Amino acid sequence: MLISLSHIQRLYRSDEVETTALLDIELGIEAGEFVAIMGPSGCGKSTLLNILGTIDRPTGGSYSFGGQELTELGEAALAAFRRENLGYVFQSFNLIDELTIEENIELALIYRRMPKAERRRRVAHAMDHVGIAHRARHYPSQLSGGQQQRAAIARAIVGEPRLILADEPTGNLDTENGAQVMDILQRLNDEGATIVMVTHSPSHADLAKRRVDMLDGQVVISVRNAI
Amino acid sequence: MLMTIVRGVLRQARRHPVYVGLDLLGLALGIGVFLSLALLVRYEYSFNAGLPGVGRLVRVDEHWTPAGVVPLEEADATFHALPFLRQDFPEIEEALRLLGTTFRIERDGKFTRFDGYATDTSFFRVFGIGLSRGVADDALSRPDGLVLSEKAAMKAFGTLDVLGRRVELNRSGERSAHVVTGVMRPVRGPNLLANTEMVVPIPGEEERTRSCFQYWGSSCGEVILRLKKPEDIDAMRARMRDFVIRHASGAENDHVAIGPHPEKMYQLLLVPLRQTHFYDVNVEDSDDGVDRNVVNAIGLIGFLALVLACANTVNLATARAGLRAREVAVRKTLGATRRLLFVQFMGEALFVTTIAGVVGLVLCEILTPEIASLTGEAVTVSYGFVLAVLLVVIVLSGLASGFHPAAVLSGYRPAAVLAAARMPSGGRGAARLRNSLVAGQFAIAIAIIICTLVIDRQTAFMRNADRGYEKSGLLIGQQMRGSDPVLQRRLLDTLRSVPGVVAVGFGELEPAPHSLSHTIYQYAGPNGPVEIQMLFDRVGSGYFEVYRPRLLAGRWFDPMRGQDEGPDAGNLQDGTGSFNVVVNAKATVKLGFSTPGQAVGQVLTAGGLKARIIGVIDDVRFVSPRDPVGPEILFFDTLSRVPFVNPIPAVRFQGVTRAVMAERLNRAWTSVTPDLASNFQPADERMAAFFTGDERRGHIFTVGAVVALLIACMGLYSLAAFSAIRRVHEIGIRKTLGASGGQIAILLLRDFLRPVALACVLACPVAWVLMRSWLSGFDQRVSLSPLHFLIATAGAFLIATLTVLGQTFRVARAEPARALRAQ
Ligand SMILES: Nc1ncnc2c1ncn2[C@@H]1O[C@H](COP(=O)(O)OP(=O)(O)OP(=O)(O)O)[C@@H](O)[C@H]1O
Ligand SMILES: [Mg+2]
Repeated sequence: MLISLSHIQRLYRSDEVETTALLDIELGIEAGEFVAIMGPSGCGKSTLLNILGTIDRPTGGSYSFGGQELTELGEAALAAFRRENLGYVFQSFNLIDELTIEENIELALIYRRMPKAERRRRVAHAMDHVGIAHRARHYPSQLSGGQQQRAAIARAIVGEPRLILADEPTGNLDTENGAQVMDILQRLNDEGATIVMVTHSPSHADLAKRRVDMLDGQVVISVRNAI
Repeated sequence: MLMTIVRGVLRQARRHPVYVGLDLLGLALGIGVFLSLALLVRYEYSFNAGLPGVGRLVRVDEHWTPAGVVPLEEADATFHALPFLRQDFPEIEEALRLLGTTFRIERDGKFTRFDGYATDTSFFRVFGIGLSRGVADDALSRPDGLVLSEKAAMKAFGTLDVLGRRVELNRSGERSAHVVTGVMRPVRGPNLLANTEMVVPIPGEEERTRSCFQYWGSSCGEVILRLKKPEDIDAMRARMRDFVIRHASGAENDHVAIGPHPEKMYQLLLVPLRQTHFYDVNVEDSDDGVDRNVVNAIGLIGFLALVLACANTVNLATARAGLRAREVAVRKTLGATRRLLFVQFMGEALFVTTIAGVVGLVLCEILTPEIASLTGEAVTVSYGFVLAVLLVVIVLSGLASGFHPAAVLSGYRPAAVLAAARMPSGGRGAARLRNSLVAGQFAIAIAIIICTLVIDRQTAFMRNADRGYEKSGLLIGQQMRGSDPVLQRRLLDTLRSVPGVVAVGFGELEPAPHSLSHTIYQYAGPNGPVEIQMLFDRVGSGYFEVYRPRLLAGRWFDPMRGQDEGPDAGNLQDGTGSFNVVVNAKATVKLGFSTPGQAVGQVLTAGGLKARIIGVIDDVRFVSPRDPVGPEILFFDTLSRVPFVNPIPAVRFQGVTRAVMAERLNRAWTSVTPDLASNFQPADERMAAFFTGDERRGHIFTVGAVVALLIACMGLYSLAAFSAIRRVHEIGIRKTLGASGGQIAILLLRDFLRPVALACVLACPVAWVLMRSWLSGFDQRVSLSPLHFLIATAGAFLIATLTVLGQTFRVARAEPARALRAQ
């Protein structure tokens, strides 16, 4: 088991109100899996993904990755964990406006202290992979939504992470672009990456190997797709 | 419109209290400092301006250029020239002699001191001074007349109605009876008479006996001329050389004249009184000289403080403009024109600067007395001037700080702003503007800090630097009048018997000497004859033990050896006799000896007088650290044959505190010469005037440095705060990609500190050039060490880091998930 979540809980406390984003999550994910998470708006999908990505901390429960308990790690160790293991595709791209596409992608390698030449090579490869090499020197604002999403994916995969988290990677895209992105993700999965993807599209969910349905902060159904 | 502007500003203040607060405070501080320093500069520049008809008032200076010495200009001129001046120059309407004098009134054994002049009856006419009691034209016509300033009248009698009162004045031991014949009104603004408390006619006795009334080449006071027309001065200058040739030349042995060719070494210069304040820095015998460059530098600091504060406002306003983009877009969508918006933002900027201006005015009120006491100048807030300047400052800084944001804001295209996910930062141009402003601010602050450090080091160095004699345990007394050997011997004996006294000695020179007399000596050296001008001093037995100069070669005088005894007045005047002398190291250098030892045994001549060098001492510095120590020749005097002329007693003591010693010595002194106020002081007190000016101005620089740094930091702080808000999102992304908190902190710090680094690069060379030229004005000076630059830049970095650290940490530590949601 690559990932195992048990009794994961995430409460948000603000002054008076207390929101339960995640109530009690039990979830195991094998290495090489492609999991699609579905559920109505506000059921906690993004929160779950954030916790998987360690950019948010659960208020209860345990999260182990490759046998290591992550909830006990400090800030610096988590940063190192993300650096080494994780690729993140956001729902709203989250590219840095002031950097070019190339620089945005390179950012995922910079914190690994990789030699410049090696970084260049990998960035070029990742851009080829998603088909935006011709836009390398452009700034995000000069790209269409689909192109930005592919750049965001390139940034997620450039470090060859073991786990790719994608929050509605096709949400902002038209059918054509959405299909392209799914195609890329499937290829990455075929090459060995473990993928967890949030989506509202049943047809995209069907392209994954497993489908997890959530409701009110809990996992309700987890089914393997027949392939 | 006005209401819209006020409401706009208030809403801003409520939304961003920190930005608006810092903005206002910085600007107010800048304006306050600027106004205060402007007042100080105006004060310095207005010296003598309050004298009626000052344009026609001229001081006659003597300029000496004897062969082989540094030229010397004196504010004093011989009174002997006055009748000739009147006679040869019809341009002169009136002329006046000013003999600076210290008066004392003795009451119950206590002396009250008054400063003033013995002068001519034309005094009040020439300076245009009105009398509040008495009649100006008659006040000084009787020989026992006395005119007091209003302040002095209050000080002496507690009332202004003092006409006809009888007073006995003590002028350095000489008593004279006077009747108060007038009380004079003060002259507006700073002027050469500001400290004048008493004016009396010149005593006929002095006029008959003192050499400065009878000889060319001897001076003891100032000659002031009132011309008929200001422009006459040029015509007079052109004829001055001929005037000197006509009246000051004479045979070689004519003591009234200055030799057959006086024009070769002697010039009379005319200095308009309006200029003397700055001019006098390089003039001897004048005590109110101020370096114009320093005054300008102070003005510049004030101006820079204002520029810094305006830069802040521009910076914050452009930064804030981004936050208001949405407001602008909505307003535009609702039909506001670009011009209307421009006017609104401009109006807001002006409104803010006006508030800052008012606060600045209050600050100026508070700061000015402080600055006045720091500099020792009687600067006061003059409202006409301040308000006029303030108005200009408000309008200019309002326009400066409002223009860029107003242009940027009113120029936003609404669609782009509304469609954008995030707030625009004003684009790359605005970011560059902000960074260069911060760099400029810090460059100015760092340069001022470096200058402050150097000035500080130099002033401290001057105070503590080696002066060639031992300062501690040394007290120097009042210069005695005359040459009465009995009185001189009695004083020495009395002082020697005071408990605690180790040694007592006379010299005719003292630290911060009142007068210097030079003589030209020849030396028939191996490489041809050398001629140098040497400072003359006559020292007694005990002098060596009192001052403890360092003997570099040969020996000191020995009272047991008759041939060590120095010349008398006749020997000196006629150039006869053969004597043993001690010279200082500088003299041996000027004479061309490579070591002090070589000079020992050599003979110098001045006319027929022979001086055999028996010893060489290290240079003893009695003069200002700005001036080089000149070659000096010392003669010995055991008081057995030759009396001293106006000697200065000095005492070395041990085992008691300075205060107790001074008290005992003063008492002993009074028992010998009750008429002459005693005044035992440590050497440093004597020399204080040489340092205080630089120290006071050093204080101003310190104030400037602190304010500049404060304002620059305010700017950096709000910029960091603003930038942190804008970058929360980016930081979230970077952290998701694996950046650690430390890496983020470094990234932010590097961005914030890049302009500071640039500032260092800009500031160091400028400060280096400035300080090198300032230091070159000192003979005794510190070297310009890189340490000052290191300290200043490191300090700036440290303070800048501390300023942004809070912001940096807040952003660097934020949970990425929260940061990403924040959009
Ligand atoms: N920072 C927060 N403070 C308070 N409540 C929060 C916070 N973040 C999320 N929530 C709440 O937690 C719940 C889960 O939010 P989450 O973003 O995970 O939903 P989601 O399933 O991703 O929805 P969507 O499909 O609309 O993106 C929601 O009710 C949300 O309001
Ligand atoms: Mg979501």
